[in-house]
Amino acid sequence: MEVLLGITGQDFTLIAASKAAMRGATVLKAADDKTRSLNKHTLMAFSGEAGDTVQFAEYIQANAQLYSMRNEADLSPSALAHFVRGELASSLRSRKPYNVNLLLGGVDPITHKSSLYWLDYLASLAPVPYAAHGYAQYYCLSILDKHHHPDISLEQGIKLLNLCTDELKRRLPIDFKGMVVKAVTKDGIIDIEFDDDKVVKSA
Amino acid sequence: MPGFDFSNYNRNAALHARGVPLPKATSTGTTIVGCIYDGGVVIAADTRATSGPIVADKNCEKLHYISPNIWCAGAGTAADTEFTTAIISSQLELHSLSTGRKPRVVTCMTLLKQHLFRYQGHIGAYLVVAGVDPTGTHLFTVHAHGSTDKLPYVTMGSGSLAAMSVFETQWKSKLTQDEAVKLCADAIEAGIWNDLGSGSNVDVAIITAEKTTLKRNYIKPNERTQKLKSYAFPKGTTAVLNEKIIRKQDIGNFVTIHDLTEEGGDKMEVDT
Amino acid sequence: MSSPFSINGGACVAMVGKDCVAIACDLRLGLQALTVSNNFPKIFQYGDNVFLGLTGLATDVSTVSDLFRYKVNMYRLREERQIAPRTFANLVSSSLYEKRFGPWFVSPVVAGLDPKTGQPFICGFDSIGCIDFAKDFIVSGTASEQLFGMCESLWEPGLDADQLFETISQSLLNAVDRDALSGWGAHVYIIEKDKVTKRLLKGRQD
Repeated sequence: MEVLLGITGQDFTLIAASKAAMRGATVLKAADDKTRSLNKHTLMAFSGEAGDTVQFAEYIQANAQLYSMRNEADLSPSALAHFVRGELASSLRSRKPYNVNLLLGGVDPITHKSSLYWLDYLASLAPVPYAAHGYAQYYCLSILDKHHHPDISLEQGIKLLNLCTDELKRRLPIDFKGMVVKAVTKDGIIDIEFDDDKVVKSA
Repeated sequence: MPGFDFSNYNRNAALHARGVPLPKATSTGTTIVGCIYDGGVVIAADTRATSGPIVADKNCEKLHYISPNIWCAGAGTAADTEFTTAIISSQLELHSLSTGRKPRVVTCMTLLKQHLFRYQGHIGAYLVVAGVDPTGTHLFTVHAHGSTDKLPYVTMGSGSLAAMSVFETQWKSKLTQDEAVKLCADAIEAGIWNDLGSGSNVDVAIITAEKTTLKRNYIKPNERTQKLKSYAFPKGTTAVLNEKIIRKQDIGNFVTIHDLTEEGGDKMEVDT
Repeated sequence: MSSPFSINGGACVAMVGKDCVAIACDLRLGLQALTVSNNFPKIFQYGDNVFLGLTGLATDVSTVSDLFRYKVNMYRLREERQIAPRTFANLVSSSLYEKRFGPWFVSPVVAGLDPKTGQPFICGFDSIGCIDFAKDFIVSGTASEQLFGMCESLWEPGLDADQLFETISQSLLNAVDRDALSGWGAHVYIIEKDKVTKRLLKGRQD
């Protein structure tokens, strides 16, 4: 029941991840951050098997940062997405593959174009305008299909995100303890204040 | 022989254990035959390739070249017959180059059976090997597990029973070339009509001490008649949202060519 | 869990015309019944007029297309010339057969024009590299059965570039409309001697 959401707009990419760290039916932590920044303008959110997720994400993070230090230049979101896919695809053919689903969002530092990449544990990669992972896909993609436009502003993006989280609170049987929300803009990654205490009445 | 790459094997075995079915390979659910006559040997095959119940190719080639005087008819997994015969063909070519002798059919048959036995039947190639070499005329069958047979007339594939019934009723010793070709073609036709895995046309190869004659589509009993009506659509039927034309001459616009002369070009800065 | 060939869905078709060839694919990427993206092209270019269509498991579509980009780039550097469609087809075949006992879950289609003679060339493969040379059309993907039916009835010899575009487009569009796992728009490439036309088709979004 982990929730990952991503929305792109005119000059930003929003990434949101549920705060609950769960193990079976128990919530172990209510302020978990399922995102890692790969460089100044690329953010990755992850869900999947406990242990695999953080291990894989931090491995990618370390390599992305190593690249930035060695070359004094950051990889673009697209380049990073393909790098991550390559790592996940070769892991898939190993004895014990990583079971991790990812969203990778960013803003290109040169063209200022926002982008979002959807990756599943099979290393299927797709560039998308908006995306979700897990059960959230079934609830949120239809909402985003209806309301998303490629040229929305950050404020409109956050409104859209609220539409999605409201629906999730209404329909998901387990409390996911709110969302960590971050936005990538041309100026870098910023934390977005998000009202987790909003109560949504069920139908 | 360059080996197989098993890097996906574990992943696919894990997937298979979770109930994922194996991929459907194109198979030559086939009729192939061979027959010795006085003065040479004839092999023949149908031309249908199937993938499950679907006809994947209506006119494929199942007669494979091994050497100028040895040819092979293949049934079973299409990719396996194609690559096994190609590998043995190349090994035999090198062997004949190093020995300075013409390749022999028994050598070919032995290489094939040893290769197939090593893979314990996992390489699904069922072959009819035929040829004429300095030791005489030969006809063999080779099964995927590595067993072989030596007979005056042979059939293989899903249509082998239909084809064999023709041989068993009509074969006689002392056949002429024309009689042998007719007999083989009739046997293939029996497969084409009576076996669902076989169909379309008859391919024949005649091998004698002098030469090999490949008669591709020797009989075409299933020719498609011309359509009585054209279903060509008027231009503009399909709605197009976006169109991009790339012309070869335009590609040149993105390339500039600079001639560099000894003196003219800026020298690269080099640490001394 | 279903077959790896039908997890993500997708369809591809190639056709021969008069002095031209066409190759087309749908744009859907799905996870079983859920559509994840409607912008996942399955046709890749490897030379002036060498095209490869790949359907099957999406991760292998990406891996295999990247692998051939690498192999073709190495070929071009070594040979100092572009790869010909027939050579490329043999490269695809042997690369797939190398993984005979652990195959890539893809059904490739190659389309192009011979650089010397300008002759149209198309062929298809099974997942272990058996080549299907065809003089008319090649189909692949979850809508392959529907495509077989469409192409078998609509295709005719000697279609010119414009007629070929309509024929391949209608074949694909109507085939994917009868396949739940394919569709959501399409790309069509018409390859002629000195130009390539790429068109985005309007398709049903359901």
